[in-house]
Amino acid sequence: MTFPTDENVIVGLDRADDAGVYKISEDCALIQTVDFFTPVVDDPYWFGQIAAANALSDVYAMGGTPKTAMNLVAFPASEMDLAVLREIIKGGIDKLKEAGVVLVGGHSVEDKEIKYGLSVTGTIHPLRVLTKKNLRKGDRLVLTKALGTGIVNTAIKGGVASAALVESVTRLMATLNRDAAMVMADFDVGACTDVTGFGFIGHLAEMVGGSGMGARIFSRQVPIIKEAMEFAAMGFIPGGAHKNRQFRESMIILPDTIERSLMDILADPQTSGGLLISVRGNQADELVSSLKDKGVGDAAVVGEIPGDDLHEQGSAEHIWIV
Amino acid sequence: MKELDARGLVCPQPVLRTRAMLEENNPGDIKIIVDNVAAKENVQRFLEFQGFNTVISEQGGDYLVTGSHGGKTIERGAGDGAPEQEPAGVEEREAYKKKILVICATDRIGYGDDELGKKLMTSFLKTLKEMGDELWRLIFVNNGVKLTIDGAEALGDLKSFEAKGLKILVCGTCLAHFDLLEKKEVGETTNMLDIITAMQLADKVITM
Repeated sequence: MTFPTDENVIVGLDRADDAGVYKISEDCALIQTVDFFTPVVDDPYWFGQIAAANALSDVYAMGGTPKTAMNLVAFPASEMDLAVLREIIKGGIDKLKEAGVVLVGGHSVEDKEIKYGLSVTGTIHPLRVLTKKNLRKGDRLVLTKALGTGIVNTAIKGGVASAALVESVTRLMATLNRDAAMVMADFDVGACTDVTGFGFIGHLAEMVGGSGMGARIFSRQVPIIKEAMEFAAMGFIPGGAHKNRQFRESMIILPDTIERSLMDILADPQTSGGLLISVRGNQADELVSSLKDKGVGDAAVVGEIPGDDLHEQGSAEHIWIV
Repeated sequence: MKELDARGLVCPQPVLRTRAMLEENNPGDIKIIVDNVAAKENVQRFLEFQGFNTVISEQGGDYLVTGSHGGKTIERGAGDGAPEQEPAGVEEREAYKKKILVICATDRIGYGDDELGKKLMTSFLKTLKEMGDELWRLIFVNNGVKLTIDGAEALGDLKSFEAKGLKILVCGTCLAHFDLLEKKEVGETTNMLDIITAMQLADKVITM
């Protein structure tokens, strides 16, 4: 299929990225993104917050500043109390307020199943756009949120998670990537994406494939929700995690010393996951400590883009898990 | 052998049905039919977590997961001839260390003088470290949860256990019953499934 385009499209459909970017002048480009989904938690107010944090995340991942948003709503108004919808939208608006974004419109349809999300527009300098395709040799990879939300949500559906865990994972999903993006802006970052439905491994694979570089992942340093390891071992793994792993299997070099549950978590689809940032190797530790100072407590160095020696050994476009 | 048809079910349902069947009667061997890879992988993980050895075979488009308490883990491909044995797993590396589970269902030891009973419990918790690294999990239920709250005598000892990596589990239902959820100072809030699983995995269970 061919898509219409013009010379002002900086990021379009030909190169799948987090959001589309369109230059409107020499010093300003628009970033546009849309995201909506079915409820991931039972509480409508928190669902609204999570959906908004998730929709805004694509703009942050491109290095931009979100400015305006529009609601997308599907709701069974004839069968369900409208108070539920009000709570969802209130959650969304509160999250937008926190992000300094204004709601300028929206659209709703009657549907059997609740769906909520937003279309978000932001701005960025055309030369400052961060895509997935610029991993550089010697960069290190930093992840800003713990992994495992898909597995924990499956365990919640199975009724085996504690109330305390439900609350902490809900807060994690509703946390904006704004602070992480603000801190990142002060560092020499080559590429960035946010970790969502394809899991850590899937989104990393997009960066690796797009850049023609291999990556080495320090699996013991990857931040994870600690209960997720045990839930994974018990088989509370969403179908998407198995698909994500299988789809990228040929790219992944996995020694048999890595537990299966850890690999399940690396492939686990995330809802409103963190940013995966490729930064100059000598700035990585400082980036992590600045993130922690800003309250991004999960942030950690999780991998590196090896130098020439490894690429000559044929590791280009592979993910080495160590 | 007990059989379960979990075809047409979406995750985590196949695991939940398998679990329900195990809870109903604990069969020696078990057979589950599923119709997708995710369900196959999840049911296999669940059975292995519960201590079963598993064999997978393909039947048409479906997968048959067989769990048993004997033999080795074998994965049999669609058109394979003789099944290949997998090499011994890393799970065996700590096989020789015993796993001791201690359950405290009370905040005092024995009957008679309550003050003495509480002193004994404090002394018990302080001395528990002599078990060394075979002490695997410490669970508090019923009145025992009062040992984990602000002001409890041996709280410092429990905290240092936890800092050294001992997993301490505290019954959430019990904390809620005594209205102590906010006051718990040590350990993770847990549920009955975690407790049962821990009992099953432990080599020795000691109940106070």
